[in-house]
Amino acid sequence: MKNTNAGILWLKSHTTPFILSIPLLILAVLVQAYGDTLLVRIVTVLFINLVMVLSLQVFMGNSGILNFAHIGFMGIGAYTSVLFSMTPQAKAATLPDLYPFLRPIHLPFLPSLLIGAIAAALVAALVGYALMRLSDAAAVITLFALLVIIHTILVHWSIVTNGPRTLFGVDNYTSLGISTFFGILVIFIAYLFKETPVGLKLRASRDDRYAAASIGVNIVQVRWAGFVLSAFLAGFGGGLWAHFITSFSPYAFYLTETFSVLSMLVIGGTGSVSGAVLGTVVVTLLREGLRAVENSVNIAGVFPNNLVGFTEVVLSLLLILILVFRPSGLLGSQEIRLANTIPLASGKFSASELSRESSPKEGEHV
Amino acid sequence: MSDCRSEHSTAGELIIQNITKNFAGLRALDSVSLTLKRGEILGLIGPNGSGKTTLINVITGLLPLDGGRVLIGDVEITNKPPYEIARAGLGRTFQTIRLFRELTVMENVEVAAVSMGCSRKEAKRRALIAIEEMGLEDWVGRLASELPYGLERKVEIARAFAMQPSFLLLDEPAAGLNEEESDQLLDMLAPIPERKGLGLLIVDHDMRLIMRLCHRLHVLSYGKTIGEGTPDEVRRIPQVIEAYLGKTAVRG
Repeated sequence: MKNTNAGILWLKSHTTPFILSIPLLILAVLVQAYGDTLLVRIVTVLFINLVMVLSLQVFMGNSGILNFAHIGFMGIGAYTSVLFSMTPQAKAATLPDLYPFLRPIHLPFLPSLLIGAIAAALVAALVGYALMRLSDAAAVITLFALLVIIHTILVHWSIVTNGPRTLFGVDNYTSLGISTFFGILVIFIAYLFKETPVGLKLRASRDDRYAAASIGVNIVQVRWAGFVLSAFLAGFGGGLWAHFITSFSPYAFYLTETFSVLSMLVIGGTGSVSGAVLGTVVVTLLREGLRAVENSVNIAGVFPNNLVGFTEVVLSLLLILILVFRPSGLLGSQEIRLANTIPLASGKFSASELSRESSPKEGEHV
Repeated sequence: MSDCRSEHSTAGELIIQNITKNFAGLRALDSVSLTLKRGEILGLIGPNGSGKTTLINVITGLLPLDGGRVLIGDVEITNKPPYEIARAGLGRTFQTIRLFRELTVMENVEVAAVSMGCSRKEAKRRALIAIEEMGLEDWVGRLASELPYGLERKVEIARAFAMQPSFLLLDEPAAGLNEEESDQLLDMLAPIPERKGLGLLIVDHDMRLIMRLCHRLHVLSYGKTIGEGTPDEVRRIPQVIEAYLGKTAVRG
């Protein structure tokens, strides 16, 4: 009795992930039932983008450190997962020089995804502890350097990546259902992380690192934890994307994708999971719309030359406008929630009412 | 009930021995020593630039010190990182208020207990006690960035209380408060050290507050100790009158 009550109270004050997931779930079901191939592809990409943007939010939104290295971890997840999921025949065709011990390995999709995510998290764990001592511009520049380093390794480690050439022969495992599942799972993970002790300490260190240290927060440690979780989820996103697109090169995990994911997060609002979700949906749909416009304009021959880069220019302008007029993004740092269900938000509840919720003694009378 | 009872609840005194701090040739602190007992309120006063805030910053590990030692009981905390010093039972507030602006008042206070190892549930309980002590019940759900100035100070103090420190260093808690608010602060702070067994060190220029609140005073000038004792003793010391208090305080 006591536990169910506590559970209901908890749910009432944490409606955000449900409010965010339900419309997305409905969208996925409708598109699965009635959508054509193109629409299914667009919505599948939407959910993969969601994994990438939310995983970026886990570190960047809570620590306040602009993370340029994020897409590097997506690349590690993508390449690692396909090395485990591809059939030996496919590997022989696309990676003839592959290390012998990797050739016969052929795992199902989900274990391969998990291994890719773990690989990304391990790399983040190894390089992260030193990096997390840095703040502000120094951290941003170093993380950018990390992206360049990961990219350079992917381009030159031909034995496992096929070098700068396209790696092909990956099975298409990432269906709309799979990407929806992971997209929504990551909404919950990102939201719950904010509320964990580590997430709370990380957010405190974002707002003021001297004050955070003065109350006992080990800033390097909490940043590191956020960074590793963020890379783990990015590794998942990379694996999902790889098994959707089925052939790719290291250039897929570089500046274009970095800019795309960063703009989704910044447009929506770095500080909240709701902002990350909104930004992903708005930018993904806008981009597809703009691309359709670009194509039809080109086909109709409105201009003497083909229109190139129209989509990118409009998205860049949107980003600039957001940064000028709403620097904290469309939603800022506040989560969407049902207004009257959070006792702590109204400020009208007395402390004794609040303690009734949280103190175990009172709970027994309920 | 409490899964994070402070391990430092039996700590002895905060002992500061011969602390020296230089800033590029300027001696900001020159062999300053003082002791803070639990349950007592010690006022640290002196003119601007006498090294009061510097002393707090070196004790709490924000600045490295160039000589001397800091101990809590027999535990050495000299030049430890700030978060370790905090966990050893030493809390502080800042001269310029430092709140977590994008967190609610509740979260601001709660995170202090969380970083001492409490679960969220226990941290909420502790935070509510601290919030009630500072009279902030009506503001729990507000973002710190939405608060009026006078309340920001209180949130900072509540946050420090939620750590349940053995010693607390308040850097100008009454700065910017009007007389009424300063009196309120006095009434709130006065009973707390004895009740909690907390050693409180207060830096402030509000002499009304300092003289009524503090059990003992320690006076700095140009980084040197120029007097210490009870408020009555200190206001009779000629160097203190000359350097800081002026003639009026002697009569008051």
